[in-house]
Amino acid sequence: MTAGPLESRHWVPAGHSHAPLPSSTDVLVIGGGIAGTAMAYYLARSGVEVTLVERGELNREASGTNAGSFHLQLAIHQLSGQGAEADRERLLDEARLSLEAYSVWKELGDELDGSLDLHETGGWMVAETPEQVRTLRDKYELERLAGIETEVVTGAELRRRAPYLAETVIGATYCPIEGHANPLVVAPLYALRAVEHGALIRTGTEVRRIDVNGDSGARRFTVHTDAGRIDAHRVVDCAGAWCGEVAAMVGLRLPVRNEGLHVNVTEPRPRLLTPMVQHIGRRLTLKQTDQNTFIIGGGWPTPDAPRPRRYPTSWHSAAGSTAVAVSVLPALADIRVVRTWSGVIVFTNDFSPVVGESALVPGFHACVSSTGFTFSPYFARRLAEQMTSPVVSPFPERYSLDRATTGTLRRENR
Amino acid sequence: MPVSDQSIDLLVVGGGPAGISAARSAAEAGLNVLLADERPTLGGQIYKQPGPGFTVTDPAAMDRQFRQGRALIDSLDGTGVEVLLRTSVVAVEDRRVVLVTEGSAARTVTARRMVLAPGAHDRPVAFPGWTLPGVITAGGLQTLAKTQRVLPGERILFAGSGPVALAFPAQLAHYGAHIVTALEAGPAPRAGDLMRLARAARGNGALLRDAARYRGMLLRHRIPLRYRRIVVRAEGDGRVERVVHAAVDPDWRVLPGTEETVRADVLCVGYGFVASLELMRLVGCEFDHREDLGGHVVHRDEWLRTTVDGVYAAGDGAGVEGSFVAIDEGRVAGLAAAMDAGALSAADAAAAAAPARRRLDRRRALSAATARLYRVGPGVYELSDDDTVICRCEAVRRRDLAPAIASTDDINLVKGYTRAGMGPCQGRICQRQVAGLIARHHGRPIEEVALATPRMPVRPVPIGALADHTIQGPTLFLAEDAAADDGTKP
Repeated sequence: MTAGPLESRHWVPAGHSHAPLPSSTDVLVIGGGIAGTAMAYYLARSGVEVTLVERGELNREASGTNAGSFHLQLAIHQLSGQGAEADRERLLDEARLSLEAYSVWKELGDELDGSLDLHETGGWMVAETPEQVRTLRDKYELERLAGIETEVVTGAELRRRAPYLAETVIGATYCPIEGHANPLVVAPLYALRAVEHGALIRTGTEVRRIDVNGDSGARRFTVHTDAGRIDAHRVVDCAGAWCGEVAAMVGLRLPVRNEGLHVNVTEPRPRLLTPMVQHIGRRLTLKQTDQNTFIIGGGWPTPDAPRPRRYPTSWHSAAGSTAVAVSVLPALADIRVVRTWSGVIVFTNDFSPVVGESALVPGFHACVSSTGFTFSPYFARRLAEQMTSPVVSPFPERYSLDRATTGTLRRENR
Repeated sequence: MPVSDQSIDLLVVGGGPAGISAARSAAEAGLNVLLADERPTLGGQIYKQPGPGFTVTDPAAMDRQFRQGRALIDSLDGTGVEVLLRTSVVAVEDRRVVLVTEGSAARTVTARRMVLAPGAHDRPVAFPGWTLPGVITAGGLQTLAKTQRVLPGERILFAGSGPVALAFPAQLAHYGAHIVTALEAGPAPRAGDLMRLARAARGNGALLRDAARYRGMLLRHRIPLRYRRIVVRAEGDGRVERVVHAAVDPDWRVLPGTEETVRADVLCVGYGFVASLELMRLVGCEFDHREDLGGHVVHRDEWLRTTVDGVYAAGDGAGVEGSFVAIDEGRVAGLAAAMDAGALSAADAAAAAAPARRRLDRRRALSAATARLYRVGPGVYELSDDDTVICRCEAVRRRDLAPAIASTDDINLVKGYTRAGMGPCQGRICQRQVAGLIARHHGRPIEEVALATPRMPVRPVPIGALADHTIQGPTLFLAEDAAADDGTKP
């Protein structure tokens, strides 16, 4: 039984997206994923003149290819190596941020007047060794401090509450407020509502060069695209995995790299698993979707490929990721994988997002984060507020666009 | 389950006429050849053998196609070709090929060369009622008849076009089926067509005799064959009870006011075949577009090399031209692989391929002579209405597709918005229909609508067969990873 097609949804008409580029705009948003369309929406809603350019089609990269999960449990196993205290602060900050981001999500369906297929399903993070269970307990302590509700479940109670988990799973934390939404509809809906508020969206428009002009007025930036030139007072880099290339056009170096990630999806089967499942010690994210298919990911790599080719998927990652999944959820063994896909994800080397306005290139903004599906609505809303009202508190220093730019900028871009 | 690795000179994918012939030619030239087919027996669709549980006690009592197929399959004896049945090629990464045999774990082989001979499947045609029980494709019905020796109903209406529209009702009648009517969407042969056929007859005697024989069988069984008529809809309460058909113009577009209703419990649909492209698309071959050969047709040189180094394509999977062409193409491709591997000199390969090439030229002369009769009209993709289910796996109706198609001409996005093509068949059935709808809405020829991103696995794979517990996962995102590369990656 499938949930059926997404009836009665509406999308930005092709005629709008393919119209000519205007000659000028107040804000130019670069990138048509969830961050870009959210920026366009929040700015347009505040009455700001905004134009979004996207080199391909909307929502085709990480925003539309991720698994749509909200993981609120702390990624305590993802340590920066800067020392326990630094990591602890970062993790606590991230936890509070996750809660705020999630609260934006919970109101987003009403805000955008459409269904995002948001479900609060709860989520397990499982452990298979005593050491992993100890890490779970440390994580639980931190989550308590941050105000994230979780519990550590072991033994007979775990068997009772999660009979689908393998015997090898000896402990797990459960977080009742984790969940997922449909990544295929969120950015397109943001885009449609942005257009209704007056934003212009132009797909098939690739930014080739950005001139930074001396004055800080309406012609601060001249942006050259393959569909013509546009002057902009301000620019927001929402190019996700390719944000570093855009920032380089104004002389900034962002602390980012991109990676292809491999995802598997199975045929549908009767409902077996409601909560999401992650692993504290191995790469696994697993959930059964609204359509009753299973999506298996967890950050397994794919090789890269030169544009315009999409990153291929990897047999090695397919075989490895499904091995982790079936060892945690043995019932998967006879379920068939029907497709794999890859998404290109941006990673920041220090695990912090890149959000705000550059001090080195005033007027140049960015809205980029690794777990962009969870965080982009929140960051975009806050950045849009900051761009429209100077009284809003700035983002923390470690989000700075300038943190990896060393030496002086190229003279012509000052 | 550890993954074993075997190294071979040539992997032939598909055990129909093209694959068998390619495997044999290459093996005879000295290559170490593995032939994989997903069915339980060799022969492909055309020479499909009776299924497991059947024993042929008297081959002479079987039809001619069975005997031709048996002879072809037997020709592999003693050639040293290793045959893997019930085995699908599910992924290809450079020279590494992943095979899944039913009931076993996936394994990889390293193949220096590959001949892709995946064959073709029925051209999917969506019309109101096409999902009713009792509607069956020509290929499906043929499989039932050939492997299980059963017929699905009492009163069969055949609707289709091309050679199959003649051969198929005749073969079914031979099996004892009651064919109420056979509809051919194309035109009736005129004197000019017959003259062109006569001029192309040299070397094609067997095919033309078959055609005449089939025509004779239709007459003998009193099966009306009606030209320029197409199926419009199937009706019935929970299964096919009536079929409505109508006259069409030369583009196969329905002429209003010409509808007729026939009582039937089976509607067999056979509007020709389309090549199975999944593997060729996965490895990155380039394609041309020829609707009469099945739409997308892989681009090849005179030695049937695709645009991907070391990958050859032969048979219906490289353009639907039937089993005789497939056998000769398989021979050319097998020789080409042997020549490129250094097992045959160019001169020897050319000499060995010459008879096959001569036959291919004659077949193609015959195809040119029938081009007018067998041209596929674009109207075949315009039979659905708002209510018609286009994607069967995900139950997506045409009306669900309309708003998405109005917003974009990118089939990947339409798929994401509507789920059309996301089910177990991965768009094999619906993708051309969706592409046709996009083409119509955006006023473009269908060949300009790019297909969805090809992805492995090419066939669904049970996780139990796919999972490899010996693989050590990459480390979690730790500082060392990050420190290794702190710059932007181009």
